[in-house]
Amino acid sequence: MDTLKLYVKSMGMLLKSQLQYPASFCLQTLAQIVMEAGELMAVLLLIDRFDSLNQWSGGDLLFFFGLMSVTFYLTECFGRGITGNFGNFVRTGQLDTFLLRPRGVLTQVLCSAMDPRRFGCIAVGVAALILGCRQSQVQWTAWKALAFAESVFLGVWLILGLFLIEAVFCIHSVKSVELVNAITYGGRSACEYPIDVYPRPLRILFTVVAPFALTLHVPAAYILDKPMYGWPAWTAFATPLAGAALFAVMYTVFQYAMRFYRSTGS
Amino acid sequence: MKAYLSAFRMRLRMETQYRGAVVGGVICQVFFGLVLVALYRALYAGKPQSMPIETVTTYVWLQQAFFRMMLASDSELLDKIRTGAIAYDLCRPVQMYGYYYARIMAQKLVGSLMRAAPMLLFAALLPRGWGISVPDSMPAFALAVISLLGGLLCVCSLENITMGFTMRTLDSRGMQALLNLLMMTFSGNILPLTLFPDSWQRVITRLPYAQILDAPIRLYTGERAVAQAPGVFITQFVWTAALIALGLLLWRQNQKRLIVQGG
Repeated sequence: MDTLKLYVKSMGMLLKSQLQYPASFCLQTLAQIVMEAGELMAVLLLIDRFDSLNQWSGGDLLFFFGLMSVTFYLTECFGRGITGNFGNFVRTGQLDTFLLRPRGVLTQVLCSAMDPRRFGCIAVGVAALILGCRQSQVQWTAWKALAFAESVFLGVWLILGLFLIEAVFCIHSVKSVELVNAITYGGRSACEYPIDVYPRPLRILFTVVAPFALTLHVPAAYILDKPMYGWPAWTAFATPLAGAALFAVMYTVFQYAMRFYRSTGS
Repeated sequence: MKAYLSAFRMRLRMETQYRGAVVGGVICQVFFGLVLVALYRALYAGKPQSMPIETVTTYVWLQQAFFRMMLASDSELLDKIRTGAIAYDLCRPVQMYGYYYARIMAQKLVGSLMRAAPMLLFAALLPRGWGISVPDSMPAFALAVISLLGGLLCVCSLENITMGFTMRTLDSRGMQALLNLLMMTFSGNILPLTLFPDSWQRVITRLPYAQILDAPIRLYTGERAVAQAPGVFITQFVWTAALIALGLLLWRQNQKRLIVQGG
């Protein structure tokens, strides 16, 4: 609980410091909005040309897109320490100072950065969700709301877990490994669309290795009343736990890797 | 002229030094390409279009292969602007615009060729309907290569305009992101221009962004016939000339009111 309070407090401070340059902040947030709107436009243009994708209507596709962008950019906003800065901490030796303080390394990394410009991307994601719900005429119920909240919440942990893979490589080799981008950013791009449109190898990758499908797509399909692979309703609440599981695994690996951390000394 | 040539050559050599970093990037880009191809195949299965799927996958692979041509900027120049070291460049007996044009051209050329070769090889090995098809004809291939060089000149002049704005505002991350987004969208990287609504085609294929990769790719796939090639070259040339003129103007104005950052 104490850790949570610390995290909330640092987020508040970071937000305040970012807002010290309002003009620059507004312009950069605007740029983020336009950037994500560009991605959204691509989806809209595809819907315009192809109408639907297998059993998924245009509205459904917008919903999937919105769910992914909200989840991904929430992670990039509040987990900036892991998703963006960790490599620099290792390279510059700043991680050493974290080791001296009476808190967990990961807690301090998370508390060290925040990227409020991402609110722009999140806003576009929310717009896509609203548009998608309208077009697909989603009937919201308490259960569906719960599934949605669970999906986003655990999705954030899943993405943090995936970025931890990169962090572990970074501890090992100092350089950040571009290859891992294939499952983080690649996962984001691929899983903006429902998993069942992809061929088997990609489906396995994003179900077993990087379980975006279990954490985001199964609940989304439940909310849209088109259960993924015809699975029963309870799976929409059970499968997102894969995200938490992945984070737990990567957390353990990370702690193990930290035992072998050698400072760059700079 | 000799000075610009040697700036170009120096940069060429430097770019070829970082071969290790290329491997990870290429694998990543191949992965993105596979995902896109899988997606378009699924979309095509639902509602086939007049343009065959082979053309779309060829388009995707060529875009992915030459991706680096668009997103490579001279980080040294950015640093120089920020630290004020640009003052040294002002003392050089060369025209600054041309000097940096030569540098960025070398960077984009080598950067993209080093990545394109392994990627295109991989894409050629994929089964039909997944990978890249052979060019429409030999003349079409030759013309596509020529227009790719035209595209390179065009993208370099665009890049220098972005740089011109950076000099003005120091921190132009917002502006840069906007210009890059325009480039990624209207060059056909995010979504092939051929899949944009038909009613848009007349306009978007005439924008400078379409001259970079879209025009060469359309010549390659035969969507633009060989007879149409002169028209393509003229469009590329006119845009490049106009953008260079605009860039020169912008840089010249910047030099007049340039404030060298101290410290």
